Amino acid sequence: MFAPGPNSPIKNTDYRVVLPFYAYAALSFLLATIIISTDVGAFTQSHFNAKALAVTHTMALGWGTMMILGASHQLFPVLIEGKLYSNFLAHSSFILGALSIPLLIYGFYTFNFGVLAQTGAVGINLAVIAYLLNLSLSIKDSKSRNVHAVSAFTAVIWLLFTTLIGLLLLFNFQHPFLPEASVHYLSLHAHMGIIGWFLLMVVGVGARLIPMFLISKYENKKTLWWVYGLINAGLTLYIYVFFTDNHAILSLAPIALIAIALALFASFIYKAYQKRIRKSVDEQVKTSLLSVGMLSIPLVVILAFVILMANWGHRQFLTLYGFSIFFGWISAIIIGMTFKTLPFIVWNKVYHKIAGLGKTPNPKDLFKSNLFMGNIIAYVLGFMIFCAGILLTDTVLLNIGATLLLINAVLYNANVFFILFHQAKLK
Amino acid sequence: MNVATNNELKSTIALTGLYHVMDPEIGLNIVDLGLVYEIRFNEPFKEITVVMTLTTQFCPMGESIVDATKQAMQQSFPDYSTEVELVFEPAWSPDKISEEGNKYLNG
Repeated sequence: MFAPGPNSPIKNTDYRVVLPFYAYAALSFLLATIIISTDVGAFTQSHFNAKALAVTHTMALGWGTMMILGASHQLFPVLIEGKLYSNFLAHSSFILGALSIPLLIYGFYTFNFGVLAQTGAVGINLAVIAYLLNLSLSIKDSKSRNVHAVSAFTAVIWLLFTTLIGLLLLFNFQHPFLPEASVHYLSLHAHMGIIGWFLLMVVGVGARLIPMFLISKYENKKTLWWVYGLINAGLTLYIYVFFTDNHAILSLAPIALIAIALALFASFIYKAYQKRIRKSVDEQVKTSLLSVGMLSIPLVVILAFVILMANWGHRQFLTLYGFSIFFGWISAIIIGMTFKTLPFIVWNKVYHKIAGLGKTPNPKDLFKSNLFMGNIIAYVLGFMIFCAGILLTDTVLLNIGATLLLINAVLYNANVFFILFHQAKLK
Repeated sequence: MNVATNNELKSTIALTGLYHVMDPEIGLNIVDLGLVYEIRFNEPFKEITVVMTLTTQFCPMGESIVDATKQAMQQSFPDYSTEVELVFEPAWSPDKISEEGNKYLNG
């Protein structure tokens, strides 16, 4: 009647692998908001300046990538229905990333692309290779090949392309060997990272996690395969257009493909929300749902940029586009999902051996909900005001927005470290 | 809920214990969540086997839930040893949630 499960179907990734990524990402988020608070002027100039580059890479690598790497070491076994292949590779990935990212960011901050920055870029590539190897070997040993796992795996391949191109561009700054200057390839490097890595990973994993947290009956693998195909097709077409004739109509096609993919993904999440069994939705999941809506902001901005670029300044559009991706969509989903995943990892670490010996707190009691609410309010207000500041090139608005974003990062860090240092309390 | 057993009386005692084992993420006990499929008693060897599932394979909370299940059985039947047999066929789905569980989640 009942078929036995696989061997050790409950053996999870060691928390010691996962928790350092969360701590590192939280501190990177704080660092990025400190950098923007100390000089908002970087957001009124061309996007290719030392501080903007430092902030972008702090957000993309230290915050977004390190957080996703950490969470995915925990969640990838759920996606592939198999064990993570190696804790050693996971630790290696963390150590290489943690040591290399500051070197690269320091290089950008000082606008010096020499040995330090290059060493950092090499280390980051090694970190990504360790991560990719770990996922590849984990998939090889598992039987499940679902759309979530395939999306996550493809996303890591795009991440490797992104960091490899980043490395080449860095060397090209010092010793030019590419046909064009490195600045020419920046949008290629950026979009491989944004679309190939972040979007594909968030869509693949989000389509599994959000319905799971809502306890939704809705399933539609076909739609998710379409989303997967459209995102990859859009990015591939973008690369083709980049290297060939940059015709206006053709350059709209990748945007259209990605827009359709996002509309399908948003409709999938909406249907999952409608068919949820758990009627009361907590604030963390609401923040993650908000991030799905926030995906539309960079899309609208890039469309407006393409349509209006002849009539208006490029600078504000491009800065707003990047800002709305890293401080908007990516940050919203990470802030929401941090307090949906981290308390459970720490709860497991602290209570799993003593869960039946007395009444334990719930995982959601491990963080301060008032700090979380303060975090969200400061974040949403800070984000909106900073966006307005970019569009209007208004340093007063930029300073107010930056201060609110700094407060948001301080509250976020306080809550994260409050969870990380939680001690057992049996009632 | 629909839990198979070979001893109705002891099964009732066992279920009372299992009602205290919660899925920490959902906040619902594992019986109303529909995770418990069968409770078998092996009287000659004083053994209990709880056949159960998880909401997903490699569920991050799985180890805690299984440990708590064993501890709950140990408290209800101190003279018995408990084995938890995890199965994933039939797989868990939201349809397995009991009426009481649905009421709790709708509340």
